[in-house]
Amino acid sequence: MTYEGVDFYDIESELTDEEKMVRDMARDWVEAEVVPNIEQACRDGVFPDEWRVALGEMGVLGMALDGYGCAGMSYVAYGLVCQELERGDSGVRSFASVQGSLAMYPIHDFGSEEQKQKYLPKMASGEWVGCFGLTEPDYGSNPGDMITKAVDEGDDYVLNGAKMWITNGTIADVAIVWAKLDGVIRGFIVEKDDPGFSAPEMTGKHSLRASVTSELVFQDCKIPKDRILPHVEGLKGPFSCLNNARYGICWGAVGAAQSCFHSAKEYALSRIQFGNPIAAFQLVQNKLAWMLREITKGQLLALSLGRKKDAGTWTPEQISLAKMNNVDMALEIARMARDIHGANGILDEYPIMRHMANLESVKTYEGTHDIHNLILGRHITGIQSFTREL
Amino acid sequence: MDITIIAETQDGGLHPVTAQLVGAASSLGASLTVICPGGAGGEEACGISGVGKVLAVTGDCFATFDGGAWAEALDAVAGGDLVIGAAPTSGRDICSRIAARRGVSIIQDVINLSPGLNITHPIYSGKANQDLTVTGNCVLTLRANTFPPAPSGGTAQLSTVQQSGDVRLAVAEAFARASERLDVTDADIIISGGRGMGHPDNFRHLYEVADVIGAAVGASRAAVDTWEEIPHSLQVGQTGKTVNPSLYIAVGISGAIQHLAGMRTSKYIVAINKDPEAPIFKVADYGIVCTWEEAIPVLKEELSKLT
Amino acid sequence: MVTIAVLLKQVPDTTARITVSDGRVDETAISTWVTSPYDEYALEVAIQHKEASGASITAITLGPPRADKVLKDAAALGVENLVRVWDDAWESLDSNQVQAALSTILEGVEADWIYCGKQSADRNQGSTGPGVAERLGMACIVEISDWDVTGAQPSFTRATSSGNERLAPTPPIVLTFTKTETELRRPNVRGIMAAKKANIEVVSADIGDAQVQVVAHNPPAQKPEGRKFEGAESVPEVVGLLRDEAKVI
Ligand SMILES: Cc1cc2nc3c(=O)[nH]c(=O)nc-3n(C[C@H](O)[C@H](O)[C@H](O)COP(=O)(O)OP(=O)(O)OC[C@H]3O[C@@H](n4cnc5c(N)ncnc54)[C@H](O)[C@@H]3O)c2cc1C
Ligand SMILES: Cc1cc2nc3c(=O)[nH]c(=O)nc-3n(C[C@H](O)[C@H](O)[C@H](O)COP(=O)(O)OP(=O)(O)OC[C@H]3O[C@@H](n4cnc5c(N)ncnc54)[C@H](O)[C@@H]3O)c2cc1C
Repeated sequence: MTYEGVDFYDIESELTDEEKMVRDMARDWVEAEVVPNIEQACRDGVFPDEWRVALGEMGVLGMALDGYGCAGMSYVAYGLVCQELERGDSGVRSFASVQGSLAMYPIHDFGSEEQKQKYLPKMASGEWVGCFGLTEPDYGSNPGDMITKAVDEGDDYVLNGAKMWITNGTIADVAIVWAKLDGVIRGFIVEKDDPGFSAPEMTGKHSLRASVTSELVFQDCKIPKDRILPHVEGLKGPFSCLNNARYGICWGAVGAAQSCFHSAKEYALSRIQFGNPIAAFQLVQNKLAWMLREITKGQLLALSLGRKKDAGTWTPEQISLAKMNNVDMALEIARMARDIHGANGILDEYPIMRHMANLESVKTYEGTHDIHNLILGRHITGIQSFTREL
Repeated sequence: MDITIIAETQDGGLHPVTAQLVGAASSLGASLTVICPGGAGGEEACGISGVGKVLAVTGDCFATFDGGAWAEALDAVAGGDLVIGAAPTSGRDICSRIAARRGVSIIQDVINLSPGLNITHPIYSGKANQDLTVTGNCVLTLRANTFPPAPSGGTAQLSTVQQSGDVRLAVAEAFARASERLDVTDADIIISGGRGMGHPDNFRHLYEVADVIGAAVGASRAAVDTWEEIPHSLQVGQTGKTVNPSLYIAVGISGAIQHLAGMRTSKYIVAINKDPEAPIFKVADYGIVCTWEEAIPVLKEELSKLT
Repeated sequence: MVTIAVLLKQVPDTTARITVSDGRVDETAISTWVTSPYDEYALEVAIQHKEASGASITAITLGPPRADKVLKDAAALGVENLVRVWDDAWESLDSNQVQAALSTILEGVEADWIYCGKQSADRNQGSTGPGVAERLGMACIVEISDWDVTGAQPSFTRATSSGNERLAPTPPIVLTFTKTETELRRPNVRGIMAAKKANIEVVSADIGDAQVQVVAHNPPAQKPEGRKFEGAESVPEVVGLLRDEAKVI
């Protein structure tokens, strides 16, 4: 059977022709290239370089940005692409999120004209890979206290410090690094050959194995003055990037959930126990019904948020709710699907366990589940509870 | 009603389907003329019972295949209210053109035909059939091996007519076809082997059968996993390829659910397995309880007789 | 300048379930419509031809408004001109009418090279390519399985009963394609954005009266229950059944 996404509420009828075409393009690619090769990539712990090339050729990198080689498509179209990529693997969607939302977006919105012209076309085509360095070994949910710093030395800035958990770091040509200059958080563009910069890969992951995760190390790393992002200061810089990437995740999680649901449904219909397909048992049907329900809600949430993104009427809290909800439901669906698959569910013959492990990362990065709870809590009560005097 | 039948020829003689065309046309109770493109098979056609007249059409254009030229030549000599040809590629090409020349409709791949002109042909690759009637004249091509052949014993007159058409296609180069193995996903017939084949070398027997009927060879996962000579690209099933051929022949395959997941939508399934309890028999249209060692040589021989 | 036309037909996805109700295939039950698979190969080669020769391509489809999709998909791959032939009064057209409609449009396009699939995936007829060629007074090569369109003289290979033949034809000509190993190109986001702006010309044509009437659609005959045979001596009988009952060999 060819893969068909879940569409219980006829989302299809609410999409434009272009949105459907872009979605189908990504779906066909994932079906042809990712699905048959993802397990091997995970076993090898690599992000296949052909995928970088293909994503660039398809034009999905930075596709919601305007100009400089970017397509300027709707955020809904971008979301649909994230959904399809993550249906293949969260690592593929991560690559696209980091490139488009976390590396290209800040150059596009906060960079100088020269910076845009130099970097964006090559990043849109996939020729150059970007990464986003915010998290540090000691500062995750609390990046405002970061210690990486930049010093103005006349002709150059000199960076010192370290970033950790940086997706694409080792394979990146361009790193967007957030560091404090005179105590204020600023964005810097670091190139892979800059002196004093290195990006060793982190190994031993049980999750997002087909995605490169790295440290970024700056030891008196010297970069020219024109590499600072001129148009943003403070946490607003990284946070606006994160809002974009989180938006993509809320669609991506729907894709991972659909993959698990699809597999669970097929399996339940073909697995016979006690003389019946297990799909004939009420307990199993209950699980499938729950999955359908959660996926459908997640889709409607994502679509509604996407339309707001396109109209410019979204709020960060709405994004927090959608990211948190959709990753949470996807993870729960992965676990339930694993249960339905019985012992087979632990095999890499099925996508389930991989999605489940991946989603654990997705739950944590781009603001942990609970950080989003705190964002909503502050919104509801007007009281921030991120910090407290002990 | 006058019917003209365009003979299907092969290797300078008549293709057996021609007698089937005559058989089908006879049921319409009309006078039958058979025309033989390039003159091949004229004598044989005279011997088919029910044929009234045979025209051997000879002309320069018949040296290579150019549907346009052939249709022009044949249409010039063919009378007939109804023209009937066979459905393989060349027949479809010529008949489409004859219909277009006459400004009438063509219905291809007909599987049922009765007087009054009631016509049935498959649509959606056989997922449905369409019944049609036609006002006025038309051109039909008939599916091979669907209509009973007319018996021999005919005594029709053979006349030869010289008629050519305007040739616009020239062959720049003719060459042997590389014997590429069909991929299972492209094949209309698949013969797959499982662990019951005993040894990878025994897949040779499956390839021999495949060659006879233009099939692709597939395999179960047990075969692919056990023997490295059997490539993963042959694997049919949940973690292999999903196939949907007209005919799937499973040899020494037990029929595990994961295998069935990849082939159960095949139109017809034949199972050859020595274990009468093997689950593959539950999905087989024709199950043969037998070892492959005994069954395959007979299968090969019987299939060779067909073509 | 070289001009290329491609004939594209929209058909139900080939994996779609076909159901018959009230004597007709229920098209409303079909959720996914696609470009007929053989036509996709024709389109691929046409685009290769265009890239090598700098030609422009006109894609033509005959169908109701939903068939715009196949034209938009073609536009996303770089096809410049899009024409849909249709008249709301049309129902099921016979081969004669289809060819009349397409030929009328093709006469206007004055294409040197007309590409199409060897047959459509729904009607499975294979009449359109040669039929249109006949009406336009052109040669036609059917079921092309290999090609070289990179040079000034394109050539095309077809299978014969004994081998392959390569032809290097002079245009104008109609070319029909079968499925091959060739990888079909995928659209990209830029192409899709261009397709969004592409204009589809909708035209009608004089197609005369229908000569063929559809009486009914029927589901295929039910297969008989599975049967089990014993021993190698049953093989000839099974082969006979495959031939006469199943009609698959
Ligand atoms: C595979 C992967 C890829 C990543 N890629 C990138 C990247 O490309 N760029 C980048 O900058 N970062 C990246 N990250 C880092 C990610 O953003 C951080 O892991 C995340 O922000 C959480 O930080 P932490 O891991 O330090 O956890 P911590 O902040 O230490 O949190 C640990 C736990 O404490 C909870 N917690 C923390 N503070 C509070 C509080 N105030 N109240 C209640 N609970 C609290 C959290 O919810 C969590 O459960 C990546 C992470 C992973 C796993
Ligand atoms: C997650 C998962 C995915 C899987 N995916 C696939 C898949 O994609 N495809 C697949 O095929 N399997 C798949 N399997 C494996 C599947 O469960 C079976 O193990 C496999 O199909 C068995 O292959 P078989 O029928 O060749 O072997 P067996 O089950 O060992 O059957 C061999 C058969 O040969 C018969 N036999 C023996 N000798 C002869 C003889 N001389 N003549 C005639 N018959 C003989 C026996 O009676 C027996 O029925 C998968 C399994 C899992 C768990």
